[in-house]
Amino acid sequence: MQEMSVFWLRAAVVVYSLGLLHAILTILRREERFFPPAFTAFLVGATLHGVSITERWIHKGRLPVDNFFESIGLCAFLLATSFLFLHWRYEFRSMGVFLFPLVFLMTMLGGMEAPVNVWSSTQVRGAVLLAHVSLVMLGYAALLVTALASVFYLIEERRLKQKITSKLFLRLPPLSTLDGIITRAMGAGFSLITIATILGIAWAQREGQRDWITQPRILISLATWALCLLMVFLRTSVGWRGRKAAVMALMILGCSALTWAAKVFLKPS
Amino acid sequence: MNFHVTGLNHTTAPVEVRERLAFAPERLADAVAGLRNAEGLLETMVLSTCNRVEITATADDACDARDRIETFLSVYHNVERDWLRPYLYHFTGTDAIRHLFRVAASLDSMVVGEPQILGQLKSAYETARTAGTLSSTLESILTSAFRVAKRVRTETEIGQSAVSVSYAAVELARQIFGSLDHRKVLLIGAGKMSELAARHLARAGASDITVTNRSPAKASSMAEIFNARTVPYESFHTALNNSDVVITSSGAPHFVLTCESMRPVVHARKGRPMFLIDIAVPRNIEPSVNSLDGIFLYDIDDMQKVVESNMLVRQAEAEEAERIISEEVARMMQRLQQRGAAPLIVSLQQQLEATRLAEMERMRARLAPLTPEQRELIDVLTRGILNKIAHGPISELRRLAASPDGADGLEALRRAFRLDGNDTK
Repeated sequence: MQEMSVFWLRAAVVVYSLGLLHAILTILRREERFFPPAFTAFLVGATLHGVSITERWIHKGRLPVDNFFESIGLCAFLLATSFLFLHWRYEFRSMGVFLFPLVFLMTMLGGMEAPVNVWSSTQVRGAVLLAHVSLVMLGYAALLVTALASVFYLIEERRLKQKITSKLFLRLPPLSTLDGIITRAMGAGFSLITIATILGIAWAQREGQRDWITQPRILISLATWALCLLMVFLRTSVGWRGRKAAVMALMILGCSALTWAAKVFLKPS
Repeated sequence: MNFHVTGLNHTTAPVEVRERLAFAPERLADAVAGLRNAEGLLETMVLSTCNRVEITATADDACDARDRIETFLSVYHNVERDWLRPYLYHFTGTDAIRHLFRVAASLDSMVVGEPQILGQLKSAYETARTAGTLSSTLESILTSAFRVAKRVRTETEIGQSAVSVSYAAVELARQIFGSLDHRKVLLIGAGKMSELAARHLARAGASDITVTNRSPAKASSMAEIFNARTVPYESFHTALNNSDVVITSSGAPHFVLTCESMRPVVHARKGRPMFLIDIAVPRNIEPSVNSLDGIFLYDIDDMQKVVESNMLVRQAEAEEAERIISEEVARMMQRLQQRGAAPLIVSLQQQLEATRLAEMERMRARLAPLTPEQRELIDVLTRGILNKIAHGPISELRRLAASPDGADGLEALRRAFRLDGNDTK
């Protein structure tokens, strides 16, 4: 019975991944034409998710919130149903960019309670690790570009606001160009880090001990990813640009540095 | 032969004089050809713009070119020479070349670094060339002037910053938006300054212009100029959300845009930047609007400061440009002096060739009959020997011609080789 619950949950993760794909395409291409299929998939995913939780509830005889995995899975389900309600009531599609990836990752974590200690082959293990590290590095590089462009944006904005006419600053690109660089680099950074995080979680589950999810380096990585998600949401949906977006990009670069330090110095116990 | 520039410009003559002495474009070719007929003038060109009238000429050393040019101007424009003379300047030789280079590089312009003068100079050159009044010397000096102007523009930033309020608006807009293609402009008030700024913005690509004014008739007449839309003055706030650049020049005695009224606009634009140019006095936009995120507000004083700062940049660049011009003038003078040695060099080469041919002829009888290949070989051999011998004296002739105290050396070489080349000056 519990196996069926996990099966429905993993099926929900697969369907939710279409929502994640929609979010990435929206961030990278600034178009929302993939929303209708993504929303339908999200609806199906939420239904499967609901079936999984109900089965577990019936099996246990109580609400399944006994551990981190059950709690985060339930939390993801509540977020999904809240969004479905809000969208039905207020046509709140812009929130999808934030909630689709978040619900996907939370549900994915929720489905990782059962330990998996085997790799199908050492080649697969090596490939997953290589892909994770490469994507993380590329993602950090994109975030670094975002942060640098943000610094230049802040300098250029300050110059234009304060009417400073020094020739030195005239070498900087126009504000709109810097804004475009920030948007593209941030979108690319978020997409790369999202895929890297998914691979990283899968790798950690197989490699780590039972308490892999509570390790600080995993938690810091997830927090950085969440902050990244918040930034892209605020930019694409709320329209954060200029100073606020630049400061946020710098914060995320700081968090990424912290994540990297955690990966290097905080070895699993 | 010497090189002369005689003329007047905005620093030596008021506009009443300049317009009296200007040449109508359609009569310029006749004028330049008429000038060429003056005795002693070898090559002529007339440059006539709103800020200067200049006659450039080469003349025989014996000719009083200044007198000839002044007479021509006086007769052509039917003015007294005594009236004309105080406004004229006259340059000869190196000074004339320097002046021409400075004019081409826009260092002598009213607005230093403005690009039009080079086009006007090229047009004057074309007119003179078509009229057949140019020959090798003036042609060479003028093409050098164009090259120098290009070098100054490439190696300095003399023409890169705006020096008018209206163009400074375009420059600032570019620093915010990059390309201005399809940017939306809203004109609040239909003043002359805002029209000028809008004209520059439209030229830079901002195609979507909306006009509003208290008087709908004025708004409509300005809208016609730019093929723009009009919105009623009472409801222009509705057009703000979609406007990237707003130019205010209304005569309202109070702020027409305040921090309060702009906050919803900032929110609706989702952080997209907005450039506000307030060229009205009293000001139309509350200064604190500049503190809003994504809003860049410049009033008339701010724009003026940008212009002044750009002027300073141009002045600093002008110093570098003067250095380039000095370098190019020296090079040009050297080239012209070397050209003076050409008759001597030709004479030397002719004399050596005549000697070679005579000696070949003399030796032919003593040689056994030669095949054409052998004759060709001996020709090549003897020419090669002569060229090697002549190389030293020819280089020395060129060096002496370019040197200010080379006259004695030239004379010595002339006597040594019994050359009959004419003037080397």
